[in-house]
Amino acid sequence: MTNASEVLSSIQSAFPGAVLDSRVESDSRLWATIDSKKILDVCKYMTAKLNFDHYSGSAGVDWIARKEMEVVEIMASHGAHQVVAMLKVKTPRDNPSVKSMTGLYWNAGWYEREIWEMLGINFEGHPELYPLLLSDPLVGAWPWRKDYKGYPDLTTGERAVAITTSEGYTEYTFPPTPAEIEAGTVVTEHPKYPTFREREEREIKSDSEMIMHLGPQHAMVPGPFLLDILVEGERVKKAFLDVGYIHKGIEKIMENRTWLQGITYTDRMCYVASLSNNECYCGAVEKILGLEVPERAQYIRVILEELSRIQSHLIGTGEFLTLIAGVGFAPWQYMIMDREKVISLIESVTGARLTHTFVRFGGVRNDLPEGFADQCRKVLPYMKSRTEEFIELFAQDPIYHARMENIGSISAETAKRMGCAGRVLRAAGVAYDMRREDPILVYPELDFDIVTGTRGDSADRIDCTLREILQSIRIIEQCLDKIPSGPIRTEVKIPKKIPAGEAYYRVEDPRGEMGMYVISDGGDKPYRVKVRGPFYATFQTLTPLLEGVYIADAVAIAGSMDGCPSESDR
Amino acid sequence: MDGIIEIITQFVAQEPAIFALIIGIIGALVLSAVVNVGAMLVIWADRKVMSDFCNRFGPNRVGGRWGILQLGADAIKLFTKEDVIPAGVDKGVYVWAPIIASAGTMLVAAAIPFGALHIGGKDYPLVVANMDISAFYVEAALSIMSIAVFMAGYSSNNKYSILGGFRGVARMIAYEVPMGVCVISVAVMAHSLNLVEIVQSQTIWYAFAQPLGFIIFIIALVTDLGRVPFDQSEAEEEIICGYSTEYSGIRWGLLYFQEYNNFLLGSILMSLLFLGGWNGPIIPIPLLDIISPMIWLLMKVIIVIWFIILIRASLFRLRIDQVTDLGWKWMLPLSLVNLGWAVIIGSYFA
Repeated sequence: MTNASEVLSSIQSAFPGAVLDSRVESDSRLWATIDSKKILDVCKYMTAKLNFDHYSGSAGVDWIARKEMEVVEIMASHGAHQVVAMLKVKTPRDNPSVKSMTGLYWNAGWYEREIWEMLGINFEGHPELYPLLLSDPLVGAWPWRKDYKGYPDLTTGERAVAITTSEGYTEYTFPPTPAEIEAGTVVTEHPKYPTFREREEREIKSDSEMIMHLGPQHAMVPGPFLLDILVEGERVKKAFLDVGYIHKGIEKIMENRTWLQGITYTDRMCYVASLSNNECYCGAVEKILGLEVPERAQYIRVILEELSRIQSHLIGTGEFLTLIAGVGFAPWQYMIMDREKVISLIESVTGARLTHTFVRFGGVRNDLPEGFADQCRKVLPYMKSRTEEFIELFAQDPIYHARMENIGSISAETAKRMGCAGRVLRAAGVAYDMRREDPILVYPELDFDIVTGTRGDSADRIDCTLREILQSIRIIEQCLDKIPSGPIRTEVKIPKKIPAGEAYYRVEDPRGEMGMYVISDGGDKPYRVKVRGPFYATFQTLTPLLEGVYIADAVAIAGSMDGCPSESDR
Repeated sequence: MDGIIEIITQFVAQEPAIFALIIGIIGALVLSAVVNVGAMLVIWADRKVMSDFCNRFGPNRVGGRWGILQLGADAIKLFTKEDVIPAGVDKGVYVWAPIIASAGTMLVAAAIPFGALHIGGKDYPLVVANMDISAFYVEAALSIMSIAVFMAGYSSNNKYSILGGFRGVARMIAYEVPMGVCVISVAVMAHSLNLVEIVQSQTIWYAFAQPLGFIIFIIALVTDLGRVPFDQSEAEEEIICGYSTEYSGIRWGLLYFQEYNNFLLGSILMSLLFLGGWNGPIIPIPLLDIISPMIWLLMKVIIVIWFIILIRASLFRLRIDQVTDLGWKWMLPLSLVNLGWAVIIGSYFA
C-alpha cells in the first residue's frame, strides 16, 4: 500500500527541486506546492508510475494578501491506493496563468473553465476556454476574486433598454452608468470568445440537420440546464451542454457567512442529498480543528446519511423511469410512496423533510427520538422487500431491456478516464466508493458491499442504484444494533474563529464522490470553500455519450445519471 | 290561412330530400353528442382508473368525491381560453388539422353499431349507416387521424411538432396494415364485411377462433390510439407534446378529444370484432331485456378500456425504430399467418 510520504519522496527523487513546499497530513493526504513549470511532468509521472489515475478536480484560490493565486489540483487513485494528493501551483496575481491539464486529463476541461471565469486565471493550452457557469455579461468581472466589488443591481428592470434583434425578438440590455464604471463594478472589457450559440451553429453542416433544445425548461431535465442536440431525423449527431442556469454562487456566499451559517448553504446545493453535503462541510471543518466526533454522533450521522441515500436513490430512479415510460407509470408513484416513509423517519429526527441542517461541528444537532430504532426496524424490512420487488420487476420487463440495455454504455477504462462518479462509475465495473476509499465516521466497522455492474449502460445504472439501497439498509441495521449511548456532541467548545488551516474531506454522496476543500485564515468566516460535486464530474461525460444515439436514447442516458444540476452548478 | 308548422310540413312533404337532410343533421348532432360525451367519460375513467393504479386519488374536487364534473370544468376552461395562432405557422393547415381530426372520428362513428335493442325476440342494431363494407370503411376512416396528425405537426413550424408528426405517420402506417389484415381475417370467417353481420355470426368469439389475430389487433389498436407504449408522437419527455405542442385552447382540446373519441370507438370496434359484440343471454326482466344486448356490449367495452389504461400504467415506451421494426417485421407477417389460419378454419366450418 502506498502512503503519502512514499508518494512525496518518489516525486522528490524523480523531480529534484520541483516540490517547493510539502506537508504530509496523514497517510492518505499529501499537500505539496509544485513548481509551475514542472506541474505537467509531475502529474504525468504520478499517473504513469504512482497510479494516480483519478483527476478529481481543481480549485482556484485568490491569496490577495500574498499577491498570488493558487490552483490546487486534486489527484487520487481509482482504488490502487488511498492517497489524495493536493498539488498547488502558484501564479502571480497581476497576470495569473498556469498550464492546462486538459492534455493529460479529459475531465480537466470544466474545472479549468470554471476557475478561469470565476478568478480570471488563464490556462495555457486549454482548447475551449469559454465560460461555463456565468452568463456572458459577467465574464470579465472575475467575481470570486477577493477584491470583487459586486455587480450593480439589475433586477428592478427600470434600467432595461429594449433592443429589437434582426430576427424580430426583443432583447433587454443594461447599459452601465458612469458612476458604476467609475466604481469599477461593471465589466467594460469582456474577453473575446464565441458564444454558446455560435459554437453550436457552426457544427450544422447541411440543411437536413437541426438543433433541438432539451432544456432549460423541458420535461426531461431534472433541474434547469440546457442540452442542445444536433439531430438529423431521429439521430443525434452532436450534443452541446450549457450549465449554470441555477448557479447560486454558494461557494462565494459561504465566504461571507460565519462558519456555522455555512452549513445551511450546503443544504441548498442538492436538497435530496443535503445530509451528505452537511457531513462533507462539517467533516472538513472538524479536520481543520482536529476534532474527534463522539461515537454515538458518528452512528447517528451514518444512519441518517444512509436513510437519505435511500430516499435520494428512490426519487432518482423513479423520476428516470417516468422519462422512458411517461408520467402515468405506476411504479414511480410507488417509489415516491415508499420514499415518503423514509423521509418521515428522517423528519422525526431532524425536524425537516429535505433541508436538514442537522450535522454540527463535532457532532449532531439532537439525539434520536424515543422509539426511533423500532420505527426504523419496522420500515427497513418493508423497504427491502419493495426494493427487491422493483429489481425483479425491471429484470423481467422486455421493453425495459430493449430501451436500456447497451444504451449509453461506458467501459471501465473510459469511466475512469472521464472521471465519472457514483453510479455511472460503479455500473461500469469500477468499485470506487468513498465509504471504502476514504473511510470516515464508523464506516470501517460496518460490513457492506460495493455494488458494481458489468456493462456500464443505463440498465446497469438503475440496477446498481436499487441494489445500493439494499446495502444501505444493511448498514442501517448494523448501526441500529451497534449504536452506543453517550454524548452526541464533542465537549470541546467550538471557537467562533476557526484556526488557520486547510482540509479536503470526501464523502460518498448519493451521486458519488463529493469533496470539499475548506481553507481557513483564522477568521470567523471560511477563506475559501471549494465544492467538488459528484454530478459536476459525471455531467461532463454526457455530451460524448450522446453522439450517434436516437433522441429517445438521449433522454434515457441523461436521465440515468441521476442528475442534480443544482448541486453541479452550486 | 295555414300556420307556419303546416307550411313547413307541406314543404317537407313535397321535398323528401330536404326531409332526409334534416333527419341526417339531427342524427349527426345526436351521434357526435353521444360520442363526445362518451369520450369525456373515457377521459374521466382514464384519469381516475390511472390514479387508482398509481395509488393516487385523481380528480376529486369538482363534482364530489369522484370528480365526475372535472371534465366539464376542463372543457369550459378550454372553450373560454384565448385562441392563439402563433405567428410562424402555416395558418390554413394549422386551423384545419383539428377539424379534419374530428371529421375523421365522426366518419368512424357513423358506421359503428353502438349495440342493439332486443324487441320481440329480434335484435335491432343501433347503427347510423349500416353499410355492407362497414368493417373496411371503419378501418379506412381510422387512418384519417394520421393525416390530421401530420398536418398539425407540419404546419406548426416547430421542431418538436414536426418530429411528432413524422413519428405519428411512421407509426400509424406501420400498424394500419396489420390491423387491416386482422379485420380482413375476421371478415373471412364471418363471410361478411358488415359489422352487424360479423357480430351476429360470432357463435364463438373470434378472440378464441383466431387468438393470434386478437393479440395483433389489440397491439395495433393501442398503437393507432397513440397510447403508451406507443405514444412516441407525443412523448412528453422527448418532444414536449409532439404534434400538438403549438396548439392551445379549444384547438388543442379538439385534438385531445379526438384521441379519446378514437379510444372509445376503437374499444367498441375491438368488442365487436373479437369479443362477440352484443351477443349474450337476454336478461329476463321487463325493459332490461330490451337493452340487455347494449349492457353486454358496454361491459366488454369497459373491460377493453380498463385493459388499455392498465397497459399505460405498467409499460415503458418503445423507441420509434423499435416500433416500426415490430410493425413491419413481426406484426405484418404474423397477421398474414393469421389470415391464412382464418381462411382454413373459416372454409372448413363453412
